[in-house]
Amino acid sequence: MSETIEQTLRDIRQKRDVSFFDLYSIDQLSLNDLEIIFDVARGFREAKTAKLTLCKGNTQVNCFFEPSTRTQASFDLSAKHLGMDTTNVGGSASSAKKGESYIDTVETLDAYNARTIVIRSSEAGVAEMASRCVQASILNAGDGWHEHPTQGLLDALTILDHFNIKTLEGKIILIVGDILHSRVFGSLVRVLRKLHADVRVAAPLTFLPAEVERFGITTHTNIEEALVGADVVYALRVQEERGATGYIPTIREYSKTFGISERRLNLAKPEAILMHPGPVIRDIDVHSALVSRHPQSRILQQVENGMAIRKALLWLLSERYDGKRKEFKRM
Amino acid sequence: MHSILIKNGRIIDPKNNVDTIGDVFIEDGKIVYVGVSCADTADIEIDATGKLVTPGLIDLQVHLREPGREDRETIETGSRAALKGGVTSVVAMPNTTPVADNQSVIEFVLKRAREVDLINIFPTGTITKGQDGTMLSEMKELKNSGAVAVTDDGSDVQNPQILRRAMEYAKTHDILIMSHCETTELTDGGVMHEGWVSTQLGLSGTPAISEDYAVEKNIMLAKLTGARLHLLHNSTKGAVEAIARAKKNGATNITAEVSVQHFALLDEECLGYNTQAKMYPPLRSKEHVDAIIEAIKSGTIDALTTDHAPHIEPDKLKPFEDAAMGSVGLETSFAVMNTYLVKQKHITLSEGIALMTHKPAEIIRSDRGTLSVGATADVSIFDTTKEWIVDPKAFESKSKNCVFAGKTLKGKATDVIVGGVIKMKEGTII
Repeated sequence: MSETIEQTLRDIRQKRDVSFFDLYSIDQLSLNDLEIIFDVARGFREAKTAKLTLCKGNTQVNCFFEPSTRTQASFDLSAKHLGMDTTNVGGSASSAKKGESYIDTVETLDAYNARTIVIRSSEAGVAEMASRCVQASILNAGDGWHEHPTQGLLDALTILDHFNIKTLEGKIILIVGDILHSRVFGSLVRVLRKLHADVRVAAPLTFLPAEVERFGITTHTNIEEALVGADVVYALRVQEERGATGYIPTIREYSKTFGISERRLNLAKPEAILMHPGPVIRDIDVHSALVSRHPQSRILQQVENGMAIRKALLWLLSERYDGKRKEFKRM
Repeated sequence: MHSILIKNGRIIDPKNNVDTIGDVFIEDGKIVYVGVSCADTADIEIDATGKLVTPGLIDLQVHLREPGREDRETIETGSRAALKGGVTSVVAMPNTTPVADNQSVIEFVLKRAREVDLINIFPTGTITKGQDGTMLSEMKELKNSGAVAVTDDGSDVQNPQILRRAMEYAKTHDILIMSHCETTELTDGGVMHEGWVSTQLGLSGTPAISEDYAVEKNIMLAKLTGARLHLLHNSTKGAVEAIARAKKNGATNITAEVSVQHFALLDEECLGYNTQAKMYPPLRSKEHVDAIIEAIKSGTIDALTTDHAPHIEPDKLKPFEDAAMGSVGLETSFAVMNTYLVKQKHITLSEGIALMTHKPAEIIRSDRGTLSVGATADVSIFDTTKEWIVDPKAFESKSKNCVFAGKTLKGKATDVIVGGVIKMKEGTII
């Protein structure tokens, strides 16, 4: 059974390789890379939880310097389904807490000959810096406010497959919420623009980073106007503490002015879909009734696609056909 | 009688409007002759054919780290770095450990400078005790023990009332205040210039308004109090515009400097999370860099400095947000000025040298920075045609954190004379 699935996946892959060895930013990806990743991910989505041997013998370390449940579980399960051995480091027991530098921690993990190291950090750039210090392939699972590439990829796959299209040309995608503090936005906007989507953001001006328009997007302060004509409504989480630190007066006022309610969602195209990276704060970012059971919601499909994208990347990065290796010399 | 004859160099002494091929004769530590040809013979002759001969450079903002952080830099290693760059005088910032908020630290720095005996070191004291922005330091005592100015550089006096009183008190004793201009509430944890690059990197930005606002505050208070104010490391369009406006309106008690990285480099240097490009104030965007260059061209700026800031490697190997701020610069400042201002035809070589010699000297009321007959013989000789790739491993500085690493610069000091004594000969420190 698993042999048949593996053959199907190999047929889908057609010995193609991606152009990169580490993934810390969507900026690294070409359109060809996106096509390979999405094709292979679709194959893995069909395979569900089948136990495969595609990456058997490879080791993966999930290095979560910042606590995570969903992303960590998704990466861990993905690697296990591929036959990899995995271990998790980070959190309160990690050496980083004892004063060891991130670089020293990652170099040590690399010396275990791990094939892939997944890194989540509360500071921007840790995955990229780590990628320069190790032989293993580094996968960024979120770095500060910067990027969360696998999230961006799974979102793009969700949208493409919902509409059954190859590019996002002509599609209007509205992103609502705390753009400034969102690594999800960082990857999402890059992948959507790469696929030629028409991207709008709507938020209080306090939530917009400097010169954000230069991603090639438009900004809106009136959510109703921004919603008109949208094919996708993507809500980002707004954290409670933003109220206390002066970005917004209160979560209450934010929810009233920017929260996605059924009435507001109806301003978008009738066939529009609603997305959210989770965790959803019900009735603040998104009205509770819209979250998972509403026909327009794609939130659970996003989660399922997340596993598929992660499996695709792990396989593509740890088993190459082109024989190329990351150029790296341990000092 | 000890004498040195520098033969046949291109002598540039902006203070005296000298730009000529000729000789410089030094005797007993003083400049005796500057002219087309000197007939006298000397104990030592230096052939400067094809080279540039200038007054020794003066750097108003240097962190020597001693006492306290000798792992980063010492007065000796910092002095050696200065010689490599043709710098003969440095103003040492007071944010050492302990901070120079009392005369014992000033006296210690001066004692170490005498022992090391390589360059002139002008110490500064702090404006407030412990640089915490609340209680004034004993400025008169600091001045009497040898401080040339007071500054809380590394932080800024946030409370305008304290700053007003500091200026009034400094004026009482004719003491120069050097202000690091920053509004910390507006910086709010920012780690690089706020703009398109910080947005792409997902890093918290330091907005230009943080500096603009503090510069305006300092200028208004200097106008009110009449205190002598020097504005350190200006990096924004708003800052230099405010300074130009104040000078145009007749303020003669205000001077301003630019650190060389702020006209040479853009915030884009931070891409890839390059922590060597993490600066304080941060490297700015093109709009600001263009304004800084315009301000240098128009004469708004009185001095070019380095803000030489040594840091050990582990402090730069951290995530960008946590990494130390600053770059060493003593060994590259002349070359950076020459490469990015003179070779780009923004200013003449003479104008650039003026900003690194007599103009900064006048700010701290030193009579150095000239080749006037009778002046103390601090002289630097440069090979301005020498192209070199910056390799911090070759630096004399104890720390190797340099934002110019890997860049190709033009111009290098070959010989340096301090107080009539040769301290560096053909690139070798004696």
